[in-house]
Amino acid sequence: MLALATLASIVGVAIVYAIDWFPTQASTTSNDVDVLYDVLLFVSIPIFVGVMTVVVYSVMRFRARPGDMGDGEPIHGSARLELIWVIVPFVIVSVLSVYAWIVLDEQEEPRANEMVVRVTGQQFAWHFAYPDASGKTVRTDDLVLPEHRPVKFDITAEDVIHSFWVPAFRMKMDAVPGLTTSFRVTPNRQGNYSIVCTELCGLGHATMRQSLKVVPESEFAAWLEKKRGAGAANVSAGPSTTSTGVRSQ
Amino acid sequence: MTMTARLTAPGWYRAALSVLAGALFAFGLVVLVRALYGYEPLVDGEAITTVALISMGVAFLLGIGCFDYWFRWASGAPTVPDDHSGHGARSWRDYFRVNTDHKVIGIQYIVTTFVFFVLGGLMAMLIRAELAAPGTQFVDPNTYNGLFSVHASLMIFLFIIPVFAGIANYVIPLMIGAPDMAFPRLNALSFWMLPVAGVMMTASFLAPGGAFATGWTAYAPLSTEMPVGQTFFTIAVQFAGASSIATALNFLVTIITMRAPGLTFFRMPLLVWANFTTSLLVVIATPFIAGSQFLVLFDRALGTHFFNPGGGGDVVMYQHIFWFYSHPAVYIMMLPGFGIVSEVISANARKPVFGYRMMAFSLVAIVILGFTVWAHHMFVSGMFSWLRVPMMITTMLIAVPTGIKIFSWLATLWRGVIHLTTPMLFALGFITMFTLGGISGIVLAILPVVIHVSDTYFVVAHIHYVLFGGSVFTIFAGLYFWFPKMTGRMYDETLGKIHFWLSFVFFNLTFGPMHFVGIDGMPRRVADYADQFASLNAIISVSSFLFGLSFLIFLYNMVTSWRNGPRAAANPWRAHTLEWQVSSPPPLFNFDDIPTVVGGPYEYGVPGAVHGVFKDREKEPVPAGTSGVAHE
Amino acid sequence: MESASVSFPARLEPGEKPVTHDHHGPPEANRSSRVDAQFLGMLLFIISEIMLFGAFFTAYFFIRGVANEAWPAEGTHLPVAVAGVNTAILISSSFTMHWALESAKNENRAGLRAGLLTTFLLGATFLAIQVNEYVHIGFAPGDHAQGSIFYGLTGLHGAHVFVGLTLLLFATVRAFRGHFTPKDHRGVEVPGIYWHFVDIMWILVYASIYVL
Repeated sequence: MLALATLASIVGVAIVYAIDWFPTQASTTSNDVDVLYDVLLFVSIPIFVGVMTVVVYSVMRFRARPGDMGDGEPIHGSARLELIWVIVPFVIVSVLSVYAWIVLDEQEEPRANEMVVRVTGQQFAWHFAYPDASGKTVRTDDLVLPEHRPVKFDITAEDVIHSFWVPAFRMKMDAVPGLTTSFRVTPNRQGNYSIVCTELCGLGHATMRQSLKVVPESEFAAWLEKKRGAGAANVSAGPSTTSTGVRSQ
Repeated sequence: MTMTARLTAPGWYRAALSVLAGALFAFGLVVLVRALYGYEPLVDGEAITTVALISMGVAFLLGIGCFDYWFRWASGAPTVPDDHSGHGARSWRDYFRVNTDHKVIGIQYIVTTFVFFVLGGLMAMLIRAELAAPGTQFVDPNTYNGLFSVHASLMIFLFIIPVFAGIANYVIPLMIGAPDMAFPRLNALSFWMLPVAGVMMTASFLAPGGAFATGWTAYAPLSTEMPVGQTFFTIAVQFAGASSIATALNFLVTIITMRAPGLTFFRMPLLVWANFTTSLLVVIATPFIAGSQFLVLFDRALGTHFFNPGGGGDVVMYQHIFWFYSHPAVYIMMLPGFGIVSEVISANARKPVFGYRMMAFSLVAIVILGFTVWAHHMFVSGMFSWLRVPMMITTMLIAVPTGIKIFSWLATLWRGVIHLTTPMLFALGFITMFTLGGISGIVLAILPVVIHVSDTYFVVAHIHYVLFGGSVFTIFAGLYFWFPKMTGRMYDETLGKIHFWLSFVFFNLTFGPMHFVGIDGMPRRVADYADQFASLNAIISVSSFLFGLSFLIFLYNMVTSWRNGPRAAANPWRAHTLEWQVSSPPPLFNFDDIPTVVGGPYEYGVPGAVHGVFKDREKEPVPAGTSGVAHE
Repeated sequence: MESASVSFPARLEPGEKPVTHDHHGPPEANRSSRVDAQFLGMLLFIISEIMLFGAFFTAYFFIRGVANEAWPAEGTHLPVAVAGVNTAILISSSFTMHWALESAKNENRAGLRAGLLTTFLLGATFLAIQVNEYVHIGFAPGDHAQGSIFYGLTGLHGAHVFVGLTLLLFATVRAFRGHFTPKDHRGVEVPGIYWHFVDIMWILVYASIYVL
């Protein structure tokens, strides 16, 4: 049965590895997340396949013949076996926790030359603001990011909770009224990627989808300059907050 | 009976009158208070609805007669504590009045909850119809949001939690050798609060602005800003919550104080253990959801600022309070199922449950750990970031006691004599599907991954694997298993097996692909989605309809077997636990004499082993070493 | 509150005949624990009540501790001294409650009645003072989050005092109608436990709202 379970596990892992699970990778840490997920599959699929194998094997091997009114062997337990299936899962989840923690730290580590983009969720659209060193802020309704430049998103909401998800970055954070939340990414692939609201926010939640553009640094600078020039109304002096009582946790 | 007598005696006539009075009371009270404070306009529909939902709910309970005895007692009038006038059922009518017999209440629970299961299921069909293709098909976004919110609320508060309470109500007193629950009248009250909650949630579709549309989680501040339909949820949850707390308290007292002689804790069947631990969770955790909904109600009705950051409130606080209940709630919805599966597997594999004590301890471990993981629902909520890693670790640790249970069931199968009856099929289906749900649960605990997949269809897949492939499969297993005991008749085995296989296949075809669309970028709770997910969603929708149809086989089987099925023997499964040692259905007071327990509940294969001995029956041989009455 | 249990032999009121059934009655349940069922039920109920307060205290913690709002809100004042007197009133009612129960155990009918009545009146006084405080405190629940949680916690506690008073009223009525004996005083004991819980909870509420 052990051989059967091993064989089935190999087939199972091969099948799940053949599936293309994730959307495009567009940030430096996207790949870490995908690898972590692959490791999870590698650990867990044999467990699932193993359970299936034992069930199917037992049912075929130990099924009562018609008219068999007998009982099974009165096995009440086995201290050694029970100890094994306490310790082995414990070790597995501990190792996975540590691994996950390392990946998380890597994702959240502040980076030099970070650009801050303020994101504001509103029923039912996202707004963005690019503060610069001179204290001026450029407000836009579309998000453009320079390639290879670390970005920190400072996220908040005006009305109810939204959630700012960029699947290609594998990152998501709730936009909470009265609170500034944040996450960091470094986009490393040019293209258009979707932004999805994942926290139920009312009537238009399903259609609260936008897209962002990752472009070369030079193109980004030109775009920002154009936005800055496109009407003084969009530029305000000093750091401004969109709602009162904003704080960080 | 004259009309006057009908209107004064407890029952449906008085309940109708009383509900009407409750509505008038609400109207009068609101108008009076607004007049006193000089508010304009005098008649405020939302305020009246809020008060009316409470007063009409309570008025129904008063009218149907849940409080009559207590009022007599409180006024000092003569009462008999041991009053059995409302006990037992002689005709179908007795199921439609306040009844104090735990067996009647058990059936009342199960039938009522299945009515809401069907309602919730129909809503799921509508949801899938809408999602069969991108864009708008049948319902507008507001109705859609209402549909999935009411669907989830009914399934959780009106089906899974109470149906387990119903099965336990029927079985637990029999299993522990008690003539009834400790507080039969409280038991009746617990049941009658349920239809109040269920009708309220369903009726929210009639409210102006539509049903509550904030999901079953009702996150503030969305829930404090929604139209009046939200109030239906806020108040219905109070009734459902009060019902579960009262039942849990009743189970705990019954199990602690009314076990048969010799039934020590480590001789209790695992279903009793499961309900004991579940009830602890309910008593400790449920007040938190009551609290969270009280605060939402205050924000809505009194204009307080609990969740209004502009006024100094805190939005994330709602989630902490809500999940401090609602995470333990997933164990409230799972532990009784663990108990059922232990009973079904040992009886059908003809073997003792492997590692009985570890099975009991793992339940306790889950209860304790269950209180330390609530914030894993809030990894991307903007809560304290230092809380995330500890919560990830505790969440991962829950895999250990859960693993113990899965592996012990597998070991119980090993070298057994396996009878593949319908309950056994559902139990085995449960083991495999719950393992898969547990694995996706681990994925949902791993922080970097969950940041990506939280609030996507991956979560929808996970919860349906643990709650349908998990809980609901155990509910089916339990209902088929105890159907002969409850009705005195056998169900149709062939139909049962067809029901299992159709459910199993279409369950996987429905919820399996949701993992893929979730990881690939489809958020949950959406009426519309990007075109790239269209083909998988079409497959999901088609399977879900076939999945829904498979339930009709179950319904047909239950109804026809209850009416015309062959008579069931007292112990068709040759099980050892006490409920199988009395007739099917059991006598009015369960036992003529309380049996004495002399051994473990699952001693299959041990020569001469018995669990309980009955005074009035021929003594079965008691092997040396287990004879004599053991006391705690 | 005295929900009956089939586990106990029928306790008949004086002068009443046992009820006959058309079937034989239930077998007497085994008593597998020394703990009394109703006592245990009340303890479990109190655990769940503590958790309900826990939910409100969580809100208090978030508003005062996490959001760091000024306490009390700027421009408002909490009548610490008056509430202190009120606290003393409520605590003394716990002692009179205890007196009532002891009297019931010692078959001191006058003491039982006086004890219950005093407890009831003290509790009612507490509630009246609390309502008076609401009228004169100068802010409303909707003014700010501090006001919300002030009214939330004290109001939740006030509702519990009201429930406790209702239970006490039942016990008092029954005491005056001749119920309760040294052997059967559960109808005093169980509401008494609840009343003590309400008092202890008030000390926590008072400490966190007024004193800290």
